[in-house]
Amino acid sequence: MLTDPHFGFIFAAYFIAALIFLGVSLWIWIGHRHVTRALDELEQAGLRRRSEREKE
Amino acid sequence: MSIFTYANPQRFLRFVHYVLLPVLLIGAMLSAVGLYAAFALAPADYQQGETVRIMYIHVPAAWLSMACYGLMVLSSIGTLVWRHPLADVSARAMAPIGAAFTIICLVTGSLWGRPMWGTWWVWDARLTSVLVLFLIYCGILALWNAFEDPARAGRAAAVMTLVGAINLPIIKFSVDWWNTLHQSASVFRMGGPTIDKSMLWPLLLVAIGMTIVMIGLHLAAMRNEILARRLRTMRVMAASGEGHAH
Repeated sequence: MLTDPHFGFIFAAYFIAALIFLGVSLWIWIGHRHVTRALDELEQAGLRRRSEREKE
Repeated sequence: MSIFTYANPQRFLRFVHYVLLPVLLIGAMLSAVGLYAAFALAPADYQQGETVRIMYIHVPAAWLSMACYGLMVLSSIGTLVWRHPLADVSARAMAPIGAAFTIICLVTGSLWGRPMWGTWWVWDARLTSVLVLFLIYCGILALWNAFEDPARAGRAAAVMTLVGAINLPIIKFSVDWWNTLHQSASVFRMGGPTIDKSMLWPLLLVAIGMTIVMIGLHLAAMRNEILARRLRTMRVMAASGEGHAH
């Protein structure tokens, strides 16, 4: 397959698909880190959600 | 178990915590095995030669671009009819994933079209309707970001999603209704698949694997959306001086 005249097209298709896929996965992972860190900071500052305050 | 069993976001987050990693691992493993079979076991096509290998990523991406939109339609019905608490969370989380599969479908199709058709792009009904699908995804994402209040954004996006659903049968049947350069269906068609078994099973394996990965990404994105809404509420509480533990 490496010697196929269209190898460049096949490689580019999988490479770009992998890049887009990695981009989405990374975006979700970074989003999760960002939001959990921000929530932790607020909780450390003593802020509680209404449902959690009711439990306390 | 009903659709309301996991209506409680806290319960849903616990569910995601346990299932996310196994779902992603199973999906990745099946995709990897399918791609190995596609490259090492499936033969080259008698007309397309090795370029047929692009099909193993292009076709599942095309199916998933429509499946993601189909799930968004169901979520939008959940938002407008039942006001299910997780319905608009689901729709919002799915939109970027669906857009990603659609762009993968368009790019890989273009990379296949250049050597096989002699052109990167033609404005035929199938290619154009898939491009319209991508633009609808972009429009829905823009609409979500245009509203401050997620509940209002959810209802507006749900209406737009339902209107855009008309494009799904157009994509599916475009190759039958119009004269297109794009070939007609060769897997999901009346009379069964016309594709040879040696190529069909790796294709289906990749498609199943990518579907499971898509479900995993959707669960992860839904978790982010729930936490982002929680963060927004807590910031509003902090700004109003409410919410401090006593």
